[in-house]
Amino acid sequence: MKRISVVIVLLAMVLGPFGLIANAQEGEPIRIGLQGPMTGDYAYEGQGFVKAVQLLVDQVNEEGGLLGRPVELVIEDDAGDPTQSALVADRLIDAGVVAVIGAYNSTATEPASEIYNENGILHITPSSTATRLTEKGFAQFFRVCFLDDRQALFAVMAMKDVLGAQKIGILHDNSTYAKGLADWTQVYAEEAGLEVAFFDAINPDDQDFTPILTNIGGASLDAVYFTGYHAQGGLLLRQTAELGLDIQWMMGNASNNPEMVEIAGVDAAAGTFITTEPLPQDLEYPEAVEFVEAFTEAYGEPPASVWWLLAAEAFNVIAHAIQETESTDTEVLAAYLHEEFKDYPGLSGPIIGFDEKGDRLGTIHALYQISEEGVITYYPEQPQPQAEE
Amino acid sequence: METFLQQLINGLTIGGFYAVVALGYTMVYGVLKLINFAHGDMFMWGTLAGWGLLTTVLAGLTDMDLVAILVTAVLVMAFIGMMGMTIERVAYRPLRSAGRLSPIISALGAAFALQSVARNVSHARWRTYPQGLLKGLPTLRLTDEVAVSGLQILMLVICAAIMIGLYLFVQRTRVGTAMRAVSLDHNVSRLMGINVNRIISIVFFIGPALGGLAGLLIGIYYGSFNFTLGWVFGLKAFIAAILGGIGNIPGAVLGGFILGISETMVVAYGPDIGLANASAWKDAIAYVLLIAILIARPTGILGETVAEKV
Repeated sequence: MKRISVVIVLLAMVLGPFGLIANAQEGEPIRIGLQGPMTGDYAYEGQGFVKAVQLLVDQVNEEGGLLGRPVELVIEDDAGDPTQSALVADRLIDAGVVAVIGAYNSTATEPASEIYNENGILHITPSSTATRLTEKGFAQFFRVCFLDDRQALFAVMAMKDVLGAQKIGILHDNSTYAKGLADWTQVYAEEAGLEVAFFDAINPDDQDFTPILTNIGGASLDAVYFTGYHAQGGLLLRQTAELGLDIQWMMGNASNNPEMVEIAGVDAAAGTFITTEPLPQDLEYPEAVEFVEAFTEAYGEPPASVWWLLAAEAFNVIAHAIQETESTDTEVLAAYLHEEFKDYPGLSGPIIGFDEKGDRLGTIHALYQISEEGVITYYPEQPQPQAEE
Repeated sequence: METFLQQLINGLTIGGFYAVVALGYTMVYGVLKLINFAHGDMFMWGTLAGWGLLTTVLAGLTDMDLVAILVTAVLVMAFIGMMGMTIERVAYRPLRSAGRLSPIISALGAAFALQSVARNVSHARWRTYPQGLLKGLPTLRLTDEVAVSGLQILMLVICAAIMIGLYLFVQRTRVGTAMRAVSLDHNVSRLMGINVNRIISIVFFIGPALGGLAGLLIGIYYGSFNFTLGWVFGLKAFIAAILGGIGNIPGAVLGGFILGISETMVVAYGPDIGLANASAWKDAIAYVLLIAILIARPTGILGETVAEKV
C-alpha cells in the first residue's frame, strides 16, 4: 500500500507541470512546435528548419513577442520516420503547442497530420508535397509549398519543350512523396503525348543501383525523371558514370541539394537537370533577400535549401494569423487562413491564399541545371508557363 | 545476352561485398557458436574510419591514391581488429558460460552502441570519400554494351584474394589448425595445449579486420555512406553466411555470390516477367529463395551436419 502511495505522489510531481502547461495563462509563452528530421538521411534539412525558424522566433521575441507573449519553439526529431513521427506528434501536443511546423518528408507528415487533426492543432508543412495529404478534408492542415501534381506538369513541360524529349523514363523510390510525383508525371506525360517507356522504382536502403541502371541504359530514353531524394540521386548519377552509360537525368525537388553533387562527384553530376522551387538566393522578392541576408549574418552561410526558407515561411504565416486574429484558437486561425488570408508578401513570393483543402495557390517551380563546376544554376531556358486550371 | 553479362557483373560485385562481410560472421560462429551481430556495424566503422583518415590526416596523400589507400587500409584493419578484440573481451567473454541467449543480446547491444556512436561522429549525414580515388584505372569494354570498370575488377580481385588467403590460413597454418580444433571442442583443445582464449582473440581480430577492409573498399567503390550502412549490409551478409552454411568459409563466399546475383537478376528481369516495382520485390524473392534452400538443406548449401555433443 505504502509503495502505491509513493508512486502516486511521484506521478503527481512528474505530471503536475503538464497540467499547468495545458492551461496556459497570459504572459505564458506561446509554444509553437517544429518537427522534422534532426537525425537520419534528411538530418541536413531538419537542422536547417531549426536554424531558419529559430532566427525568426528570436526576431519576433526581440520585438515584444506575439500578443504580448513570448514565443517558444519546441523542437522534436522525427528522423523522417512515420512511426517516430506519430510519437513526436503526441509529445508536442503534451507540450501544449498551439501550432506545428513540419514535417519534412510526406511519409512522416502523413501520420502526424492525422494526430494534429484529431487534437485540433494548426499544422503547416513547409515541404511535404504528396498530393493526398490535403485530400483528407482536414480543416486545420495547410502547406506553404506547392503540390506534386504542379511539379509533375512542370517537369513534363521541361522534358518536352526544353529537352525536346519524346521517349522518357520515370524512376521513384517507393516513398509517399516520390511515388506520388512519379504517378502524376506519368499522367501528364501521356496527356502531352510523350511515350513513358520505363517506369520503375529503387529501394532507397540499397547502395548499389547498377542493375536498374543497366536496364535504363538499355531502354534508350531521351530523358529520365528521378523523383526521389538527393542521397540516392547522387548514387544514381555516380553509378551511371561508372557504368559508362549515357543517360540524361532530370531530378525532382527532393534532390535539389548541393550534397547530391558531393555524393555523385562533379563530373558525374554535371549536365543533370533539376525541377524545383527556386533556390533562396535566386528569389528577387525583397522579403526573400532580407531573410537570406539575416540568415547569412546569423549562421555564416546562406540557406542551402529552399525548404529552410519555406519552414520560415510557415512560421510567418502562423505568426501573422495569430497577430491578425488576436487568438491562438485553432478554429479561428484556420478559418482566417482559409477565408481572409490573401496576397500576403511571403518569403517565397506573394502568397495568393490557400484553397479550401489548405493548398497554396499558384506555382513557382523553375528549371535548374548542374554546371560543369558542379553548381546548381538557374537554366536560361524555362518551359512556357502553364495555364491555371 | 549482353545485358545479361552486364547484370552478372553487377551481381558479382554486390555479391563479393556480401561474401567478405559474411566471412566475419562465419569465422566467429565457427569458434564460438555465436552470431556476432556487431559485425555489420564494425564493418561500417571501417568505412567511417577510412573516411576519417582519407579526408583529414591522409588528405594530403590522396594525390598518390595507392599510397594513401594502402596506409589507410593497414590502419583501418588494425583499428577495427582491435575494436573486435575489445568487444570480445568486454561484451562476450564474461558471458561465454551464460547460455546462448545472453551473448546474442550482448552482441545486439554492441551493435547498437557502435551504430549510435557512428551516428554522432558523422552527424547523421551522408559522408563522401574524396572524389576520383583510383580513377586512373581503365574501364574494360568487353563489347559495345558490356563494361567492367577497373574499380569493379579490383574489388573482385581483392575479395577473391581475401577469401583464398583466409581459407589457406585456416587450413594450412598452425594457428588455423588450432582454430579448427577450438571450433570442434573448447575443452579438448585446452587439454591439447591450445590457449583457447588467445585463439578466440585472434579470430576476433581477423574477422573484424577483414570486415573493416571491406568497409573501406565499399567507401571507395560507392563514394558515400551513412551510419545505417552496417545494418543493411550486415543483415544481408549474415543471411549469406547462413545460406552457404554458417561456420564454413567457402560456404560464406558461395552464399554471398548467390544472394548478390539473385537480387540483381530479380531487379533486372522482374519487369520482363510482368513484375512492376521489382526493387521492392527483390528482398521478398531473395528471402523466399533462402527459405527454400534452407528447407532442402537445413545446414546451408555447404554446411555439414554436426552431431550434437552429449
